[in-house]
Amino acid sequence: MNNSNAPFLLQLGILTKRLLLRLSRRPLAELPNIFISAFFLLVYDGALGGVFGGSAAGTPFDFAKGNFLNFILPVSIVSASVSGGASGIYLVEDIESGVFKRYQGMPISKWAIILAPIVVGAVRVLLQATLIMTLGNLIGADPATGIWGYFAVLGMAFFWGMGFAGYSVAAGVRSGSSQGAQAATFLFFPALFLAPTFTPRYALKGWLETAAAYNPTTYVLEGMRAIMIEGWVSDLILKGFLVAGGFAFITLTFAVLSARRATEKS
Amino acid sequence: MFAVEAKNLKKTFKTKQGDVEAVKDVSFQVNNGEIFGILGPNGAGKSTTILMLTTLLRVTSGNGKIQGLDVGQDDSEVRKKIGIALQDTGIDNLLTGRELFFTTARLWGFSKSDAKKRTLEMLDLVGLTEAADRRVKTYSGGMKRRLDLGLSLVHKPEVLFLDEPTTGLDPGSRRVLWEEIKRLREDGVTIILTTQYLEEADELADRISIIDNGLVVAEGTPDELKTSIGGDVITFIFHSYEDAKKAKGLVSNSEIENNELRTTVENGAERIPDLLNKLSENELEVVSVSANKPSLDDVFLQVTGYRLEGAADTEEELIENE
Repeated sequence: MNNSNAPFLLQLGILTKRLLLRLSRRPLAELPNIFISAFFLLVYDGALGGVFGGSAAGTPFDFAKGNFLNFILPVSIVSASVSGGASGIYLVEDIESGVFKRYQGMPISKWAIILAPIVVGAVRVLLQATLIMTLGNLIGADPATGIWGYFAVLGMAFFWGMGFAGYSVAAGVRSGSSQGAQAATFLFFPALFLAPTFTPRYALKGWLETAAAYNPTTYVLEGMRAIMIEGWVSDLILKGFLVAGGFAFITLTFAVLSARRATEKS
Repeated sequence: MFAVEAKNLKKTFKTKQGDVEAVKDVSFQVNNGEIFGILGPNGAGKSTTILMLTTLLRVTSGNGKIQGLDVGQDDSEVRKKIGIALQDTGIDNLLTGRELFFTTARLWGFSKSDAKKRTLEMLDLVGLTEAADRRVKTYSGGMKRRLDLGLSLVHKPEVLFLDEPTTGLDPGSRRVLWEEIKRLREDGVTIILTTQYLEEADELADRISIIDNGLVVAEGTPDELKTSIGGDVITFIFHSYEDAKKAKGLVSNSEIENNELRTTVENGAERIPDLLNKLSENELEVVSVSANKPSLDDVFLQVTGYRLEGAADTEEELIENE
């Protein structure tokens, strides 16, 4: 009999690798999601860049300081963070298939079982964000903070993606079905569009400006935009990181509590 | 010390319709190195009993021990001692057999090199070496069951729980799995096996516990159980159910099913002429008659009052709804 079992971090690593291996086995299900946000970056820039880009110089529409790509790129990054929502689906797939039960019968940490899909969700977000930033850079994005600005945006995207991953895991575990986990990601749409998505907050109509003030997405977008357009504006960037980190903390706690309830022996 | 002990195990599920006692009172002891069969229809409480003993379901009352370790108190240590292949434990269909064995071995704490070695051993043990690099979704039902069995053995458990391991398999695959289970016993593994197949229990189990409606209704070796009935089983087949029903009034200690009447008597072959005469005198025509030693089927009928086939299927639903 083998009397030892792997330490926690190794368990997490092994389970994460297993999920990544699964993803690699169904590329057609994953690739469209990875490219869709990059596609929208092109569409947003193509549709709105003419009005709010260089030709807006000297007009009230010059909020992008001449480069609309710097303004709209964070929208694509934030929208990519919804892919962290796939985490709940990965976990629920394991519950539905009985793989989860197999792991429960082994002396491995249930937290490793729950965190693995969240880590995979965050990796997906990072991958998409990197792709968007690479594309953005190729077509003319130019962060005021230089190359390090990209890393800062990536960091904020990572926390925001973890937040969505945690939320979807909690929703998936509570609903007990992959459809439930999928449906829960629709929260993303009001979160993205009740925010200063296409114009700064001051240009929004009253009701939307009020909604945006209460929407955490607003502060993440503004933090990323500060990095891209203004430079190292500490209060906006800090606020962005705090909101993204706070969102991740809250949803991960929610996920852990939900999972604890679901995995407790009945 | 027993390999497994179940003492007055009880499990009550709370449902919207009220409390349901899936396991009312189950006790048994399993010796090291034996195959212990738990026989019963769907809904009898077999799977629930296994889930409790494997730490996957909380015990309502009573207690279970695995190699002297208390289930519910020493769960982590219990899990190291046991291997589990349940009806609804899943296998990742997108991975290959080799990847699954390797991942499982790593989770059990094997180093990379030891995990590779163990993977090769296990693939060989369950006869999947040639299919090692194929995704599991391409495996047949029998191959998946062998893989499932293999995955439960990666860490070399002392006690193996198999919950209806051959349900849904064709006869050929079932035979292959039986041989593997017997080989494991020869290697010293204690095996607890639930089944609803009488033939399987008869073929594999050293001792059998018959569970019905959450209670143990009989226990012993297959021979002990058969002998407990006493005598031989005589089966009369009539043209119709009505004839069989009439005959029941003439033959003491008999049971009918469709157009068959069965009775258990001492020296069955000698009693047949008398019984045939009695039936004939009452104008009951017998299509065929036979006398056999009792089977587990007969034992089951005697202790439960019904045959094993066609029993209700509610237990899995209860567990799923928990």
